[in-house]
Amino acid sequence: MSAVSVAPSTPLPTATKVPFGRLVMVEWRKMTDTRAGRVMLMITGGLIALVAGIILLVTALSDMSALDASTWMSALSFPVSLLVPVLAIMIVTQEWGQRTHMVTFTLEPSRLKVVFAKLLAVFVLGIVTMAIAVGIGAIGTVAGAAIAGSDPSWNVTGEALAWTLATQILYLLMGFGFAMLLLNTPAALVIYYGYTLILEASVFSALYFIFDWAQDVFPWISMQVAMMPFIAGNEMQAAGVAVEDGALGIARLATSIALWVGLPLVLGTMRVLKSELK
Amino acid sequence: MYAMIKVEGLTRVYGTFTAVDDVSFTAEAGKVTGFLGPNGAGKSTSMRIMVGLTNPTKGRATINGSLYADLPNPGRHVGVLLDASAQHDGRTGREVLTLAAMTMGLPTSRVDEMLELVSLTPSEAKRRIKNYSLGMKQRLGIAHALIGDPKVLILDEPANGLDPAGIRWMRGLLKEYADRGGTVLLSSHLLHEVEQIADELILIGNGRIVAEGTKDEILSSQGTVGQSLVTALDNEALTVALKAKGYSVEPIGTGMRVSAAPAEVGKAALEASVVLTDLRDGGAGLEDIFLQLTAETQREAIAPAHPEGASA
Repeated sequence: MSAVSVAPSTPLPTATKVPFGRLVMVEWRKMTDTRAGRVMLMITGGLIALVAGIILLVTALSDMSALDASTWMSALSFPVSLLVPVLAIMIVTQEWGQRTHMVTFTLEPSRLKVVFAKLLAVFVLGIVTMAIAVGIGAIGTVAGAAIAGSDPSWNVTGEALAWTLATQILYLLMGFGFAMLLLNTPAALVIYYGYTLILEASVFSALYFIFDWAQDVFPWISMQVAMMPFIAGNEMQAAGVAVEDGALGIARLATSIALWVGLPLVLGTMRVLKSELK
Repeated sequence: MYAMIKVEGLTRVYGTFTAVDDVSFTAEAGKVTGFLGPNGAGKSTSMRIMVGLTNPTKGRATINGSLYADLPNPGRHVGVLLDASAQHDGRTGREVLTLAAMTMGLPTSRVDEMLELVSLTPSEAKRRIKNYSLGMKQRLGIAHALIGDPKVLILDEPANGLDPAGIRWMRGLLKEYADRGGTVLLSSHLLHEVEQIADELILIGNGRIVAEGTKDEILSSQGTVGQSLVTALDNEALTVALKAKGYSVEPIGTGMRVSAAPAEVGKAALEASVVLTDLRDGGAGLEDIFLQLTAETQREAIAPAHPEGASA
């Protein structure tokens, strides 16, 4: 027999509905209280620092002129796009993999609230990570210029910054959507990397410039191709490619986003809300 | 009625398989209700439905009149332990309780109170669950269920993995909890675990309730009273005396089985001046009834009950 009583030593606060903010805090804590989560954050931070370090080292050792701010930003947002969506995937799939979803959803039966709390927590993490990357990029721009003995080139427009941020958020949402749809870490990772690193980075871009039909089809089904007129309109014009940044371009962008982000999010949410948890 | 679990016509069908078939019962406040059945009888499915993790095909389960999903901050009303292994391997025991306390809005002092209650030492609490034995996970699970000071406990196989001292400890804990007016529903596939602690028993097999009530009620409802096992110095003389009274006698081992209550056998022995060396109730024990009633769902074929020494 235990000498300790089951009853609380001091009266506990009365039970009221679990506030949404508290759920977000709990989900935030869950991202960082396991070794897997901490390692992911450390790798993300480490990669950003590594990329920045290598760029500065190369600038210092070669006669290369200092990189401008926009190159810094795209270089440093690469590790972010590589790793932050993984956290968005893990915050969902880990619950199923470790079967803690049984605990999570008995403490908060509203599954939609839990989904939103997870999304908000990982969203805030994505913004913070991106802010750090942009901040380090700014420092790198100054440091690189100092090393090369030139003036820093601040050629990042507000628009470019917004597009970079929007891209990262779309990838994060995409990872989150596929995670809910598949509820399995490896499967969601394969789909996410398969899309971003294989389809977008190699297949779509290679075929796009080879086949005429690809130029008609891909803007509708590839987020990256659909975004090009908005992000790299000037470069496209210089290369002699028609730039569709009007209604057609927006329709294409919306369609590709609906396909890769909207659809997985909707179907995934439905799966989480309806599935039997055991 | 205060804080009771009410299950009404609960049914859950998977394709052509009916896991839970029209189950109705009430687990009352101040009592420990044992939910007993072989593996795959539908206990866990029923419990998952009670806490909203699985949707019922038909029927409903309410806690003190409301659906689980409608309880504000349910952890403060119902303590749930469905699977002690369903915790993140990489978290420490303390972290698991801290997350629960955070969600429920409890002070962290409650975490320490619970660790002490379930006898997890501070160094054990700092270890990751990966390095916990099943018994330690079970203790942590019980701490997790109790942390919100709920009025109702729903525990699936809580004794699983506990050593005999741990089982005794848990029995005392749940007894105290029920004595304070709490409602306890606990499941088990092991009869002797439940028999000693449960005030009410619900026997389930093949998704259906096959018997319910107190232990005595179940025993008498199955008509197994009025059987004795007896051994005498002179078995033959006693057999004659018993047969003369119209009882049937059947030799078993060194003694006999008699179709009479022990008192009747004793009386007959006294009248015939036969010395008895052993006399006990030969009625089928709860275990035999349990096995008989749930025979269809057992994986092993059960021989007809031979209750030698069943009441030991």
